[in-house]
Amino acid sequence: MRFPSRLLAANLFFAALVWVAFYVVVTLITVGIAVYGTLTKSVWEGATQLPRWFALFVGVALIRDFLPLYIAHGQTRRQFGAQAAVTVALYAPFLSALLVLGYLLEALLYHLAGWPQELSSAHLFGSPTQVPLVFAEYLVEFLAWIVAGAFMAAAFYRWRGGGLLSLPIGVGLIFLGEAAVGAEFRLPFVRLGLDAGSAPGVPVTLAAGLGCFLLGLAMTWSIIRDVPLRNRPS
Amino acid sequence: MKIEVNGLRVDYHDVRAIDGMTFSLDAGKIYGLLGRNGSGKTTLLSVLAGFRRESGGTVRVGGRPVFENPEVTREVCLIGDAGETIDIDKVEDAIYFAEWLRPHWDAAYAEELLDRFGLERKMSVKALSKGKRSALGVVVGLAGRSPLTMFDESYLGMDAPSRYVFYDALLADFMEHPRTVILSTHLIEEVGSLLEEVMIIDRGGLVLHEESQTMLSRGTSVTGPADRVEAFTGGLTVLNTRRLGSTASATVYGDLDDARRRQAREAGLELGPIAMQDLFAYLTEPAGDAAPAGPPADVPAEGTPSATPSGDAR
Repeated sequence: MRFPSRLLAANLFFAALVWVAFYVVVTLITVGIAVYGTLTKSVWEGATQLPRWFALFVGVALIRDFLPLYIAHGQTRRQFGAQAAVTVALYAPFLSALLVLGYLLEALLYHLAGWPQELSSAHLFGSPTQVPLVFAEYLVEFLAWIVAGAFMAAAFYRWRGGGLLSLPIGVGLIFLGEAAVGAEFRLPFVRLGLDAGSAPGVPVTLAAGLGCFLLGLAMTWSIIRDVPLRNRPS
Repeated sequence: MKIEVNGLRVDYHDVRAIDGMTFSLDAGKIYGLLGRNGSGKTTLLSVLAGFRRESGGTVRVGGRPVFENPEVTREVCLIGDAGETIDIDKVEDAIYFAEWLRPHWDAAYAEELLDRFGLERKMSVKALSKGKRSALGVVVGLAGRSPLTMFDESYLGMDAPSRYVFYDALLADFMEHPRTVILSTHLIEEVGSLLEEVMIIDRGGLVLHEESQTMLSRGTSVTGPADRVEAFTGGLTVLNTRRLGSTASATVYGDLDDARRRQAREAGLELGPIAMQDLFAYLTEPAGDAAPAGPPADVPAEGTPSATPSGDAR
């Protein structure tokens, strides 16, 4: 298989740009809270809700934009599937690393300013500076959110409105990912504590995350393996 | 690349878009694919490009099946109206991926074409006009130098000067790098001179497949007094007849030998050529709701066309 360097590079480059803008905005909000109010906890922790949605739409874009592009350029669905899987497997750690970096930069800022960097939600990690645990938690989450996005996008691409039926399964994939890290399950109108105390430890978490990733890939592949390209612009 | 289609059938749920189409195209020619809206042109090209799997029959390109066959699909390029190859952020992004995925990509030629069509690399694809989007598709299709290159109404939205740039570039590049090209178009008169062979399809069936010059030579207009025109065309395949007072003009399809032509002159009838677009219109003209589209009895179509319901989704 040809290594998906350009697919990966394009997505990494865009993610890095978004992360820089996102970090600047979060930092400004942090300073604003400190100046005009009372800063008692990590702002970055709350802000990490948004990158999950970003990851979801990266999964959507893989199918909606890049699947037709690849097939129209003479690649088979199997070739695209392999390149997309490798891309997700390398992209999710990259996103996770960016979030780790955000926590570390925030820790430095809080330390210099003398602000308390408390966490307000359940996590696999107890402190933002526990780099391996922070990395592991977000890695598993991003894997789940990206494949959920890809799966639901594949269903909508193939069956249009019928793709609505994929939403519960996609949400289930996300739930599995969140459950694997024992974190909090947050969707619009839904906020479900998954009790960090029951988190089964890093190896099992990573194994569960890998399982979620592979399950999502398999379900997505079952939809795109012979999907026809649409005749008309969507 | 040689194309062999045998008994091709494509269904969209309960609608049959292509019905038992059979034909063969030799490598290294420019073909015109003509058909009315909903005739099945896009569906046929989609199957040839591996965009869609056939429901029945066989499709072989370069002697091998197409769908999910990387040895074939990497050598095939279909530029369609849906813009699959260009629907990405900027012009340079579309070029970036084309360069990466197309094995015969000519980067210098792509740059030259971008200039000729007035496209800049930093332009946002979504902000481009319809004509510029079409031009970008043409750039990707031509610079890809695929052994089988197909353009499905790729001129849409392009103004006349841009369309002529496309035709000139296509012909010049084809002469320098011969390959199999299929042009699906409604602008028949504009591209007629480029086409070596013409395929006309209608309602999912092949109506006609001939060399374009042969096709043109078979069409003749017969004009003169109505009774003499009627007498002369008796027994011929008459595609269309118009009357103005006592004068009639009939379009006949089929070979007229020297004796027939002499007979026409002696009867005071005027014989003239038929434009390709007129022939296309007559050959695909529905004769009534129940009338199937098909070639005149003496037209050597390679397929066995049959009528199917038409639909825009094709």
